[in-house]
Amino acid sequence: MDFAYTESELAFQKELRAWLEENLPEGWLEGKRVIPEDDNQKAAFLRDWYRKLAEGGWSGISWPKEYGGRGASLMQEVIYEQEMARVKAPPALNIIGTAMVGPTLLQIGTDYQKERYIEKILNGEEIWCQGYSEPNAGSDLAAIQTKAVKKGDKWIINGQKIWTSYAHLADRCFLLARTENTGKKHEGITAFLVDMHQEGVETRTIRSINDRRDFNEMFFNDAIAYDADIVGEVNQGWKVSLILLSHERVGVARQTFRLQKQFEELVELAKSMKKNGRPLAADPLVRQNLAIFRTKTKALLFNYYRHLTNTIRAGRPGPEGSMDKLASSELGQEMLAYAISLQGASGTLWKGDASVDQNWQQEYLRSFAYTIEGGTSEIQKNIVGERILGLPKDIKY
Amino acid sequence: MDFALNEEQLMFQETTRQFLESKGDLAIPRDYMNGKKQVLEDLWNGLGSLGFMGINISETYGGLGLGALSLVPILEEMGRSVVPGPYPETVAFAVPLLEAYGSAEQKEKYLPEIAAGKRKFSLALLEESGELSPSAIQLKAEQRGNEYVLQGKKILVPYADIVDTLIVPVRTGGTSQAEYGISLILVDCNQANLTMQELQSIDETRKLVNVSFQDVKVPNTQLLGMENEGWAILETGLNHLNAAFASTMVGGIERVVEMSTEYAKTRQQFGQPIGRFQAVKHRIVDMKLALESSRSLSYYASWAAENNAEELSEAVSMARSFISEAYIKAAGANIQNHGGMGFTWEFDCHLFLKRARSLENHLGSPEYHREKIAVELGWSENVIPEILMS
Ligand SMILES: Cc1cc2nc3c(=O)[nH]c(=O)nc-3n(C[C@H](O)[C@H](O)[C@H](O)COP(=O)(O)OP(=O)(O)OC[C@H]3O[C@@H](n4cnc5c(N)ncnc54)[C@H](O)[C@@H]3O)c2cc1C
Repeated sequence: MDFAYTESELAFQKELRAWLEENLPEGWLEGKRVIPEDDNQKAAFLRDWYRKLAEGGWSGISWPKEYGGRGASLMQEVIYEQEMARVKAPPALNIIGTAMVGPTLLQIGTDYQKERYIEKILNGEEIWCQGYSEPNAGSDLAAIQTKAVKKGDKWIINGQKIWTSYAHLADRCFLLARTENTGKKHEGITAFLVDMHQEGVETRTIRSINDRRDFNEMFFNDAIAYDADIVGEVNQGWKVSLILLSHERVGVARQTFRLQKQFEELVELAKSMKKNGRPLAADPLVRQNLAIFRTKTKALLFNYYRHLTNTIRAGRPGPEGSMDKLASSELGQEMLAYAISLQGASGTLWKGDASVDQNWQQEYLRSFAYTIEGGTSEIQKNIVGERILGLPKDIKY
Repeated sequence: MDFALNEEQLMFQETTRQFLESKGDLAIPRDYMNGKKQVLEDLWNGLGSLGFMGINISETYGGLGLGALSLVPILEEMGRSVVPGPYPETVAFAVPLLEAYGSAEQKEKYLPEIAAGKRKFSLALLEESGELSPSAIQLKAEQRGNEYVLQGKKILVPYADIVDTLIVPVRTGGTSQAEYGISLILVDCNQANLTMQELQSIDETRKLVNVSFQDVKVPNTQLLGMENEGWAILETGLNHLNAAFASTMVGGIERVVEMSTEYAKTRQQFGQPIGRFQAVKHRIVDMKLALESSRSLSYYASWAAENNAEELSEAVSMARSFISEAYIKAAGANIQNHGGMGFTWEFDCHLFLKRARSLENHLGSPEYHREKIAVELGWSENVIPEILMS
């Protein structure tokens, strides 16, 4: 058992730290961390930040060097997430492109697709979104109904997607569509790379409970894709979608490190707030709760390290990621809820009127998505029960 | 970065499991509950010949010279089988303290016998108040010539009926509240006039005994560490011991997760294995998540003990507070998953629940340990009323 990083891992960490100090937005490290409310300003802010990352060589770090990445090891990627969480760096706008679409194309894409897309993913010239969920296909993703029908070398796409993050800013969509209606429902699906800037594609932002407009409905009315835009084989889209997901190697690391940071901030909050002239952190009950959160965040960090050790030894990830996702999303919700409770009667004030820091209210509301996005907690529990414990499969239709 | 047991440790795990299975697995605690105290002798001899009594005893004294982490797999296995007996007290309290603070004579006298499986230790800590604080240590040890004379009473001493030696925190000086003035004395039971009162506990696998000391005379040479400076030594020992208990509990949680999983696959109702029902499936998944977190925290605690890390105290308190509660919850859920069967004396579910309960408040309640975390992390001074410090 050994918790230390190697020399070269430490050097990597140092390099990234130095870069962040130079390049984070003005005042960010000192705690002035506000992402603009206005949608246009926010989009510009995120694009700027992404461009900076790309120019600094800090996007798509796991990509091979020949394609502009750093060929980063899994440990380096983990360190990257740790550092980004430590400074609460703004989100990387093109994460779907760099973490999933790019590596998938490098693995199974055609030469044309690599030539056409890869560079622009990395430098942020083209932002990607992931068009999977539909109004009637969420947890039951294989039930998608958006149709693609072949016409010469073209495919005509009709249907609706929903909850598509950043579709309103995206240039391209990694889309799952139905190309075959006979047979089992996951057998007739095909993965397309679709141009968002065409007449047949319309996006409408959806306002979320935290008053953001980060996700969308997408309507496809005779939208067009070409044979050359198919990833993998026709009707093999289900397999392709799993390959895509398999490239999301450090999503859990990101969540886990964010929790550590969130906990530190929770303690600071409890130290700074007073009740009867004493800091909340001196209140016996508050201390008990903080100790519980401390213990749980540490436990999840060590769970992650144990699973990471397994992954490194086996050369590939096991199904344990579902346990980490499940536990960290639920703990994140608990801690943020507690942070609001601690703020007492003014805890509901938000935005400019927030009594402490508006990020608490914002992230508290955001946390309700933790247990929905990327597979709900119920679905994760099925996965853990069935794939890890070997319990009987859920009823499927 | 590497967060896993090593090859040798995995081998200890396998060997212990085989050994315990050969001794009857859960028949071991059953026999002990039914009054067959000789099962402990049998276990001790077996563990001694496997070398598992000497894991962390230095080679000079007949051990393997390994650290706290190497005890983890063995302790987990013992927890899986709800093994009775003062194994944790002996290897994770007496051994580290004798190694670190024992005189040459004490080491020579005790360590080889422990390694051979010929000597059992326990800790006689609590007194009438039931509290775990310096002010609770009031048993007097007066120095007369080259002897200490002990006067007072200790309560809830595990296995005092069968151990060979008790480590007894006593008051040799200081004011009655202070840390200063506490000393640790090694009391060999067969040479002392101790009055034992055996108690009935819902966990019949951990015998608890009240022990009265009336003019008990012990040679000066039985003082462990420096006179009056025993509190810090005791705390070190408690950190090791609590890390060890955490590991035994992890083994117990692992076992109830397995029991529930197996049962959910085989028991049919409404024409389905009950594990297909999400109310059951998801409950077992929750148990599994608690197991993972418990194991991570116990590894961390024992890693901290082995490396004498700065965060030892915090690591141990995190492990104990979390795992004590997780074990009770998982053992209770295991009963629920088994329906009426789980409520029977015949079936093994209750063994785990009872062990979980008997360890919950042993050597610090979850609240006590959480307050320790708060103090360790410097969230302002200790503000917990005495009532929670028990
Ligand atoms: C912030 C956010 C961003 C998102 N971004 C994207 C994106 O970029 N691209 C994209 O394609 N999708 C995205 N999603 C969609 C997300 O993947 C789905 O919301 C999710 O898979 C759940 O589907 P649903 O919303 O249809 O809920 P449903 O599947 O209808 O679930 C409703 C409830 O029923 C439960 N349930 C469903 N099936 C079962 C079952 N078998 N057993 C037990 N309980 C069950 C669920 O757990 C949930 O509690 C995003 C969602 C959110 C919240």
